[in-house]
Amino acid sequence: MQVLIDNYHLYLRGLGTTLQICLYAGLLTLVVGTFIAGCRVAPLTPLRAFGTAWVTVFRNCPLAVVLFFMAFGIPALGINASYFVFGTIGLALYTSAFVCEAIRSGINAVSPGQAEAARSVGLGFGQTLRLVILPQAVRSIIPPLGSVMIAMIKNSAIAGAFGIGGDLYAVGIRQSSAQGEEIIPVLLGVALGYLIITIPAGLLLGYVERKVAIAR
Amino acid sequence: MTEVSTDTPMIRVSAVDKYFGSLHVLKDINLEIPRGQVVVVLGPSGSGKSTLCRVLNRLETIDSGAVAVDGVPLPEEGRALAELRADVGMVFQQFNLFAHKSIIDNVTLGPIKVRKLGKDEAREEGMRLLRRVGIADQAEKYPAQLSGGQQQRAAIARALAMRPKVMLFDEPTSALDPEMVNEVLEVMAGLADEGMTMLVVSHEMGFARRAAHRVLFMADGEVVEDSSPETFFDSPGSERAKDFLGKILTH
Amino acid sequence: MRNGKLTAAAIAASTGLLLSACGSGSSSEEGFSAPVAENPSFEQGTTMAEYADSGEITIGTKKDQPLFGLENLNGEMQGFDVAIGEIIAGKLGIPADKINWKETPSKNRELYIEQGKVDMVVATYTINDKRAERVTFAGPYYEAGQDLMVKQSNDSITGPESLRDSEAKVCSARGSTPSERIREYIDPSRLVLFDTYSKCADALRNGQAQAVTTDNSILMGLVSENENQFKVVGNTFSEEPYGIGITKGDTKFCQFINDSLRTAAENGTYQEAWNSSAGKVSEKTPELPELQSCG
Ligand SMILES: Nc1ncnc2c1ncn2[C@@H]1O[C@H](COP(=O)(O)OP(=O)(O)OP(=O)(O)O)[C@@H](O)[C@H]1O
Ligand SMILES: [Mg+2]
Repeated sequence: MQVLIDNYHLYLRGLGTTLQICLYAGLLTLVVGTFIAGCRVAPLTPLRAFGTAWVTVFRNCPLAVVLFFMAFGIPALGINASYFVFGTIGLALYTSAFVCEAIRSGINAVSPGQAEAARSVGLGFGQTLRLVILPQAVRSIIPPLGSVMIAMIKNSAIAGAFGIGGDLYAVGIRQSSAQGEEIIPVLLGVALGYLIITIPAGLLLGYVERKVAIAR
Repeated sequence: MTEVSTDTPMIRVSAVDKYFGSLHVLKDINLEIPRGQVVVVLGPSGSGKSTLCRVLNRLETIDSGAVAVDGVPLPEEGRALAELRADVGMVFQQFNLFAHKSIIDNVTLGPIKVRKLGKDEAREEGMRLLRRVGIADQAEKYPAQLSGGQQQRAAIARALAMRPKVMLFDEPTSALDPEMVNEVLEVMAGLADEGMTMLVVSHEMGFARRAAHRVLFMADGEVVEDSSPETFFDSPGSERAKDFLGKILTH
Repeated sequence: MRNGKLTAAAIAASTGLLLSACGSGSSSEEGFSAPVAENPSFEQGTTMAEYADSGEITIGTKKDQPLFGLENLNGEMQGFDVAIGEIIAGKLGIPADKINWKETPSKNRELYIEQGKVDMVVATYTINDKRAERVTFAGPYYEAGQDLMVKQSNDSITGPESLRDSEAKVCSARGSTPSERIREYIDPSRLVLFDTYSKCADALRNGQAQAVTTDNSILMGLVSENENQFKVVGNTFSEEPYGIGITKGDTKFCQFINDSLRTAAENGTYQEAWNSSAGKVSEKTPELPELQSCG
């Protein structure tokens, strides 16, 4: 356990990096996932096809392949950025397929009469989604979305392996492998770090869930 | 131009066919509703009444033929269609009030987001309409807290808030407990008296006799009879209409 | 002064590369075969006697390390470690085709020796105290060291000290000793870590990193796999003496291996072994390092 105390600053920095990846990827994936969900329920066939293709690709490709493509494919096309950017975007794109499906199932749980009523007062597709459907869908979106987000936080360890480094998991590898520390305490420290992120995230989700349940 | 427009029927349906898969739901429907006319549509279950109603604001697409509202053919999905729908009020059997919004917010959402009215103006107008349908005191409640009759009156107020040119009602009272039917029919009759163009799918004979100018009897996707309420109820022309009337009268 | 010498070395290195690349029509199988002793005699009861009598030996090596220990597509073993293994087997009277090559990844090396799964390990095996607690090391037979690999056109990176100035991003394998050592020379934000060095080579190729760092032995392998693209800077900044791991406390076998190495260095077999393998991408033939005592 001494390892944790002696190296707490490394763990803290790792925690910081992981949090950063998760924060940026989380925001991006929510935006992209919602947009793709919108495409999937849109009245235009090309948009629906695009949404379906997106989900099919990113849900069925292993995350490592998506990240590999970001880290090596994109630079090969002559586009260079930091691995942090590539990794975060890759993680966000991959997760967006799952975000999309969580949102879509929530949308489908809202009675179709709501959308018909919205359209008959003259609301456009986007307005109908934003003002009428999504606010009612959140209740059923939050729980699966929570699982998706927590999975994303854990997946950030894989993104870290694609050149980012310095994330929580990388700190663990570095200590056990390069600095020859005992593996068990090191990994306990890493696990603790992830729990520090995921448990509050879970609590926050529970809070939001109760909040939207009351607002009805 | 204005002269022409007074002649244009509010609704014109020409040679419309509609299929659900292989089911032929609307068969070569031709219909003109002049402005100010109140039309009651009745017929057995599955005859295509709701579908006809929903085709008029393109909640259902048609397979052939044409529909025009106030002389404007129904556009494809998009902004123009949304604008047209704003001019066509629709009241559903299941009310379909926005469950997450208060009654007054239900009524003002369209005017604010579609008609771009100011919040205060929309609210003032909304409260006036709620007073008119007799539920001003329920304005801040949520739909689930209201009785069915109150909800349906709120739904009518929501449609009226858009200042529609025509109102469509699809069995507005058939989901209601009997003691609440009248409060809704009262409101509708009031609208009819004011000269609103209305298409009402309903089996309420009292309402038809009192408020309707015209009755359509549908069966198997066809308009079988098209007559005045008196003629239809007192001396229906077709066997099917007689049959149908016999059933709802003994009911 | 020092830099000038290094640049010269780098140019020489790249020229050597060019030459070897131009001559690459020749088969990689050419050249090396270790001399095999005829009926050598050993003191009864020693490890040497045991192996010589059985006529077979099992050697642990890597099979994925170009220029050191690599199994090619035909299942043939190639590389400097392999050649060293053949030299020692030859001294025992065992010909190359009687050697069982057992793939021995880094993390299994001590274990395999302790469990007797292999008779000796020649697998880019750095001698250090921690490992010496579990196995005995003969050798070293090669002095590797951490170095830098850059694009062939890069002349600004000449050694670890030049990294900070050129603001280079440096790639290494995460959890590796070299990835730790390089932190002394660069800002942590400039360090790029992957799980394999081949990914580092990709990053170097597409400009996401300007240098790759690890032991020069591994870097030479990457250079050989990516013809005409990269070069090793040739300015090592750590000492990684590669030893031959055997059963802990087998002093006689250790001494026998050391004698064999010394003889090979004297009669030129050692140099031949190098030239047929790692020597293809490095113009400098190393000298046999000073051997450690077998304790
Ligand atoms: N979305 C749909 N998909 C497939 N078939 C449908 C759909 N909507 C309606 N139908 C079918 O089309 C036919 C006409 O339906 P419609 O709802 O217009 O009848 P209706 O006259 O309104 O009946 P009711 O009095 O029961 O409301 C029925 O056979 C119905 O089952
Ligand atoms: Mg119906």
